[in-house]
Amino acid sequence: MFSGGQAELSGSEILSTLLGSEVRGDLLVLFHRNPGLIDTVDGVARRIGRTTVAVISEVRELLVLGVLKQKRIGASEVVFLDRAKDRELLESVANHLKTVRISGEN
Amino acid sequence: MHMSLRVRESSLTNPRGNVESVPGGLSSDQRFDAEKAFSSVLVSTVREAVGNALGRNVLEVLTSNGLLDDANNSKEFDRKLELLFGNGAGVLERMVVKDLNRRLGIRYDSEASFDYEKSLETARQVCFLEGRLN
Repeated sequence: MFSGGQAELSGSEILSTLLGSEVRGDLLVLFHRNPGLIDTVDGVARRIGRTTVAVISEVRELLVLGVLKQKRIGASEVVFLDRAKDRELLESVANHLKTVRISGEN
Repeated sequence: MHMSLRVRESSLTNPRGNVESVPGGLSSDQRFDAEKAFSSVLVSTVREAVGNALGRNVLEVLTSNGLLDDANNSKEFDRKLELLFGNGAGVLERMVVKDLNRRLGIRYDSEASFDYEKSLETARQVCFLEGRLN
């Protein structure tokens, strides 16, 4: 259903992908609050109060980025958080944000 | 905790549609206390929203950058958020308002048009009127 893997991205590009939509933000919060969660896309959509249609392309973006992974369990495709990759990506984001000056500018 | 605070000539209509104009005013002490309480809830909501979405390391960077110093000043917060996150700023603001509204019992509609400043003002007024801070 989905294919993962992507060339190395800058912290800024990772950030743009992570916060590319409100649904994606909801997905991040869901998986960060429940790092052991393994569920189908349908199940994930229900958990954040959205439809599968609204969620499927957003899940795909996170799979491509590598934050989420998928595997087959029985007859179901499930998605889950790749904790190591998530940590690595968020570290890149944090390093990027350290370089952005926001104080004293109006 | 119950606060019996009232806002002068508030004409607020929140999404639940049950907040009416309240005559009378707040003393400066009451207003100060209410502002302080709202600011505290807002900052904790921003911390939670950013931390849940982007993790503790990012939150620490933002804190050291002074982002949260202005969480209660919606224009300044908005400006800083856009400098840092570009288009993602809007998503973070929606997440903050969604969490804040959940805490205050205000309905949130992700399909509706969104204005961070107005949303905060609505939340502030609801706090003052109904004493829902805890």
